Amino acid sequence: MSKKFLSTVAVTLLTLGLVVTGCGTQPSAPTAPSTTPSASGGAIKIGLPLPMTGSEATYGKDMENSIKMAVDEINAKGGVNGKNIVTVTGDDACDPQQATAAANKLVSEGVVAIVGGYCSGATIPTLTIYNEKNLPFVITAANSSKIAAQNPGNTFEINGTAVHQTQKAIELFKKLGAKNVAIVEQGDAYSADLAKQTEDSWKAAGNTVVSHDVTNKGEQDFSSLVTSLKSKNADLVFWTAYYADGALLIKQLRQGGYKGAIVVGDGSSDLKLIEMAGAAGEGTYVLSPPVAEYLPTAKQFADAYKVKYNQSPGAYAPLAYDGMKLMADALQRAGSTDGKTIIKALSDTKDFIGLAGKVNFAADKTLKESNFIVLQIKDGKFVLLP
Amino acid sequence: MLQGLDCNYPRTWMNCSGERVHKMAVFSIVIQQIVNGLILGSFYSLIALGYSMVYGIIKLLNFAHGDIYMVGAFVGYGALGILGSKLGVGWLGIAVALLISMFLVGLLGMLIHRVAYQPLINKRAPRMSLLITAVGVSFTLFNGVMVLTNGEYKTFNTSLGYEGISIGLINITYTQIIMVVATAILMLALYWFINRTLYGKAMRAIALDQDACRLMGINVTKTIGLTFFVGSALAAAAGVMAGVYYGSIQFYMGFVIGLKAFTAAVIGGIGSIPGAMLGGLVLGLLETAGTQLPFIGSAWKDVFSFGILILLLVFKPTGILGKSEIERM
Amino acid sequence: MGNSVALRDRLRARLGSRKTQGVALAVLIIMIILLPLFANNYIEEVATNTLFYIVLALGLNIVVGYAGLVDLGYAAFFAVGAYTTGIFMKFGVNFWLTIPIAVLFSVIAGIIIGGPTLRLRSDYLAIVTLGFGEITRITARNLKITGGASGLVGIQRPSIFGHILNQITDFYYLFFILVVLAVIVAMRLHNSRLGRAWQYIREDEDAAEAMGIDPVLTKLYAYMIGAAFGGIAGAFFAVKMTAISPETFAFTQSAMILLAVILGGMGKIPGAILGAAFLVLFPEIFRGIGQTRMLFFGILLVIIMVFRPQGLWPERKG
Repeated sequence: MSKKFLSTVAVTLLTLGLVVTGCGTQPSAPTAPSTTPSASGGAIKIGLPLPMTGSEATYGKDMENSIKMAVDEINAKGGVNGKNIVTVTGDDACDPQQATAAANKLVSEGVVAIVGGYCSGATIPTLTIYNEKNLPFVITAANSSKIAAQNPGNTFEINGTAVHQTQKAIELFKKLGAKNVAIVEQGDAYSADLAKQTEDSWKAAGNTVVSHDVTNKGEQDFSSLVTSLKSKNADLVFWTAYYADGALLIKQLRQGGYKGAIVVGDGSSDLKLIEMAGAAGEGTYVLSPPVAEYLPTAKQFADAYKVKYNQSPGAYAPLAYDGMKLMADALQRAGSTDGKTIIKALSDTKDFIGLAGKVNFAADKTLKESNFIVLQIKDGKFVLLP
Repeated sequence: MLQGLDCNYPRTWMNCSGERVHKMAVFSIVIQQIVNGLILGSFYSLIALGYSMVYGIIKLLNFAHGDIYMVGAFVGYGALGILGSKLGVGWLGIAVALLISMFLVGLLGMLIHRVAYQPLINKRAPRMSLLITAVGVSFTLFNGVMVLTNGEYKTFNTSLGYEGISIGLINITYTQIIMVVATAILMLALYWFINRTLYGKAMRAIALDQDACRLMGINVTKTIGLTFFVGSALAAAAGVMAGVYYGSIQFYMGFVIGLKAFTAAVIGGIGSIPGAMLGGLVLGLLETAGTQLPFIGSAWKDVFSFGILILLLVFKPTGILGKSEIERM
Repeated sequence: MGNSVALRDRLRARLGSRKTQGVALAVLIIMIILLPLFANNYIEEVATNTLFYIVLALGLNIVVGYAGLVDLGYAAFFAVGAYTTGIFMKFGVNFWLTIPIAVLFSVIAGIIIGGPTLRLRSDYLAIVTLGFGEITRITARNLKITGGASGLVGIQRPSIFGHILNQITDFYYLFFILVVLAVIVAMRLHNSRLGRAWQYIREDEDAAEAMGIDPVLTKLYAYMIGAAFGGIAGAFFAVKMTAISPETFAFTQSAMILLAVILGGMGKIPGAILGAAFLVLFPEIFRGIGQTRMLFFGILLVIIMVFRPQGLWPERKG
């Protein structure tokens, strides 16, 4: 009986202690349970939900670097409406549960706007959390078509969506004269969505999809798939998931004697793809978000990034940079930190010139014009296709 | 729920353009897939062996084993990086890197046993606690490598090409052949070790009755440690081979294959060494077959494999080669 | 040594009275009820998550702790509950009505999984349950009705007496009520005839069978009840998150819940609670150190198990 009591005390103390420690580790959290976003002490707080741990951490770090660079530039020019921007990063680890926790954390820290979002699957559940506090959200990478469908009204995507990417893909397939297209995805929200959109569009145009396969993330052996695709006379293989497994698929396709075209989606658009696919990667077509190297306006950005962070900017760096600059621009136009006003300002964006081109929003708050480009791997490098 | 595309699963032997496919072509595809399945299966076998050996001797499902495989790949990567300049990155360099990795990771396995598992065995702790410790070790290795590599993928730089032999429409590369041969050599070596040496005999004896062995003067703890050494070394070998064969490694790779190899060990009969070898091959073939069967396809192939596993366990719980034991709990 | 023993005895005597225990418990409960008043959204979120995992841990505790069955696929029941609620709500069914449906489906799942497999040896049972867990996840990923890989999105928030539950505080109290109910049910079960049957089977299955207890049926009950817990938790999870995806129900989830149960001390209700709390709070508290926090978690786990394999909660005497 007494042991039980001691135990109860232990639980109480432990729980309290942990909770209190949790309170204590909150940087400058408001003591009142209010979560009204405030330009506290003359700074504008912007939250950045990004994958900082887990398999997509390199993208998260890259985007964070890029956003911070934009913030430094903005603050150097006097900030927004006379106030400096301060960023708070929330790690979503590309996981819906962690993303929700991170989102709540950002909200509780009194941010006035959100810029970021890489994994669609992790980003979608957070949309309503931000919307409840009327926080404007500029999504800089995640682009599943479900986002627009689930948009509670506060979310703007500046990355081409799966719809845009599908258009680009179909264009490319036609250009390459493909007859038997095979689609391979990984069963996650992003790749499954892109795969389905592409399949539907390709078939709607009267063409053939010979195979639609799902592989497991982390599985390295594609031999059975390769044999199967060859037996079906596929002349174009479209990989809609990420670069690591995509590189392996490319290698094994070529190793197995596949001679047709290989196209990969923007989830695989990464320099690592070239490295990991090696010689087999030659000739692979890559659908990509606007990458710094190929944007005439972005040379300055790429150089500055290299100087500051000692490495080249990643695939989503320009969009992340644009996202922050766009948010700052909207804040300036809104003239206040009131969520609804900023959202309206974002909707009204007219011809905002970013690194990736012009930004205008359609009624569903996605880009009016797609900004996808097609690259090809030639001589171990990405080359822009006209 | 069909993968429902027009010509995905032809009802007669027609391909998508509507032409009749030559019977030889179909036959070659089947053979090629069998080859694919066996190669995949040999990886599973190597890793499954470690699971079976450890389970056989201390009845522990070592969750950390898949991560040992992963660590083996990275140690091999490191070794190859250092040796590459001296021995080149061809077969010689790879072989030496492989042996180094096997040795070092074998030692790691022994260390883990001493530090994390043996204390619990000594305390006669409940088996569940041992299981949880294994999970803890798995987390440690998994996250440790993630932190050390920053989550990045590492590419194996080898000078191996894609040349091979072609019989009709069937392609097998030299690399694949060497992989299978190497696996066979390792398994034969293991077989000899278990059945022809005193250490092997001790292991088998301990699996039967630990206390009797103690009474007979066998140093049980040391022998268990040796079991871990051998099991881990085999997994490390598989890891290095995977790195060489597939080309890139990442901290996550142990997780997926760990589960698969685990399944393989159970299919063959967990605790049985020939069972692990067989189970691996069976699973490799099952998975490959699963991707080709109508109504299953790649999306459901794991369900297919697990389904077979469950049916097997329900009707023949000891697996294909396991010994029938009437034991509760 | 004599001194410390005396001190322990004196403390025990002074603090051991039921009155003091009751007071401590009451204080604890009051603090939990008052938490939202001085905590921000984030803390409430973490606390709600903790309460949620406590319910799951209590459910698995019945399977693993009371009946001694190794279950590596508990997330399957959780998934069935969540998806059932999500799907039925999409068809317009009121949330509160979906709860019994979710429980029904979860229990059916428990019967399907448990029925043919419970007579297997514990290690094989472990693997089978793992297999079923994965099968559930992959099925959820592949079927259209479950939303495929993207899962179900846009699940409506429920309302009670006209008040819509969409603040974190609402869910905090809701889960707290669930925890209280779960604890009561778990305690009653433990002291019931069924609970004693489970204990008997765990101690000596052959003797129990000789006394007329049907081991397979008794274990099946444990499975069904554990499934029901998981199903209810799943139903509430669906409306709290408003979006569920198959990845939430992967093996890692099952492993986590099992971790909570065993870490805290199998078979003991306060143990399950402590384990769940530790599991949720540890990564959150150490969010600051970023990537390495899970590494420390793993190391800590090994250390705890090596030095206290019976779990964190103190053993009951006798």
